[in-house]
Amino acid sequence: MGALIQFAVSAVAVALMVGLAAWATRGRGAPPLDEATARHWLDDEFPGRPVDGLWLASDGKGAVAKSGDDALVLSRMGVGYAARKVAWAKAAGAGLEDGRVCIPLADIAAPKAVLAMSAWPPKEPAA
Amino acid sequence: MKTLDPVTLATPFFIATVILEIVLARFGKLKATYETSDTAVSLTMGLVSSIAGLLTAGLSFAAAMWIYQHRLFTIPMTAIWAWIAVFLLEDLTYYWFHRLSHERRFWWASHVNHHSSQHYNLSTALRQTWTGGVAGTWVLWLPLSFLGFPPAMVAIQKGISLVYQYWIHTEAIRRLPAPFEAVFNTPSHHRVHHARNPRYLDRNYAGILIVWDRMFGTFQPELDEEACRYGLVHNLGTFNILRVAFHEWIGIGQDIVRQPRHTLGWLFGPPGWSPDGSRDTSASLKARWAARQAAGAGRGPA
Repeated sequence: MGALIQFAVSAVAVALMVGLAAWATRGRGAPPLDEATARHWLDDEFPGRPVDGLWLASDGKGAVAKSGDDALVLSRMGVGYAARKVAWAKAAGAGLEDGRVCIPLADIAAPKAVLAMSAWPPKEPAA
Repeated sequence: MKTLDPVTLATPFFIATVILEIVLARFGKLKATYETSDTAVSLTMGLVSSIAGLLTAGLSFAAAMWIYQHRLFTIPMTAIWAWIAVFLLEDLTYYWFHRLSHERRFWWASHVNHHSSQHYNLSTALRQTWTGGVAGTWVLWLPLSFLGFPPAMVAIQKGISLVYQYWIHTEAIRRLPAPFEAVFNTPSHHRVHHARNPRYLDRNYAGILIVWDRMFGTFQPELDEEACRYGLVHNLGTFNILRVAFHEWIGIGQDIVRQPRHTLGWLFGPPGWSPDGSRDTSASLKARWAARQAAGAGRGPA
């Protein structure tokens, strides 16, 4: 019984702390991703990989870069980003989910990137 | 048998200090970054881990009691020298447990969730594993009972170590006085441990005493010129708590099903190991980083 009460009190405390975090961070979300920031993230996540083309999500919550035969995908995760590499053909052929492009990432820890791309697949840069 | 549990005793302190850190950070009085979903995951992981731990606590304590019955010596729980000895030996055990938890995938699968936040604050300390008991690392502490330390004494010291490690999960404290930094694990040393920068990967495994890292060659000081970037080499793309808790276990399962003849490698290779070397391990990331550094240094000014 004592353990149950302790668990219940802890659960209430967790709810309180999460609520406090929500209040403290209100209006302090990450700014929309711009090209310079996206390139900086890509350089951090995929050092040395050339970027042949870069497309930003219209809501600034992600980006897709073409690097050779690969797509380098950035997807907003809180105030940071999750980054994954998939085959370009797979990314270019991605379907839609609620009007946004849904790129399967084949990773249990990051199953998909759902990005608001204005036109997809993009017109690839000239070779 | 009822034993003193330092973690339970410290829980009100954990709650009060998380609240304090959030509020002071909100008003710009100290450095800390919180995010609602991230905080919810960290704290819920901590809450549920207290239940998950109970599932195997009986087994591990029974094993310790059985070993203790076959002990080499009888070490009195009332002697100061015994507490000093258990402090040192438990901390040494923790160092190797923690190193194993980073360098072999089977144990990393249990520990990875503690590192999965892209933030570093006091709530991150509470992002504890649900599968530590299943991973069986409690076996590493059994030799202490075999030596003759009463299992309750070992359990108390483990709790003290866990409580000590709570307060070092913060960006609010930059550096402590040099003599303290030289001997003890500190927020600065542990920030390095949580960083995903290649230079910082697989460093500073200490629990309380950083001297073990200095002795075994895994020490890395925090450098002013290289700010820590927190999280995993491949950060999570979801706040789904079940994926946070179990993703690496599921990943191991998927890999074994795909290539069963490499089962041992998938289980006990370093995290990121693959038969064809197509994935990133800490060692390969560090090597590429070092090569880039060397190339950059060799280029020199025009």
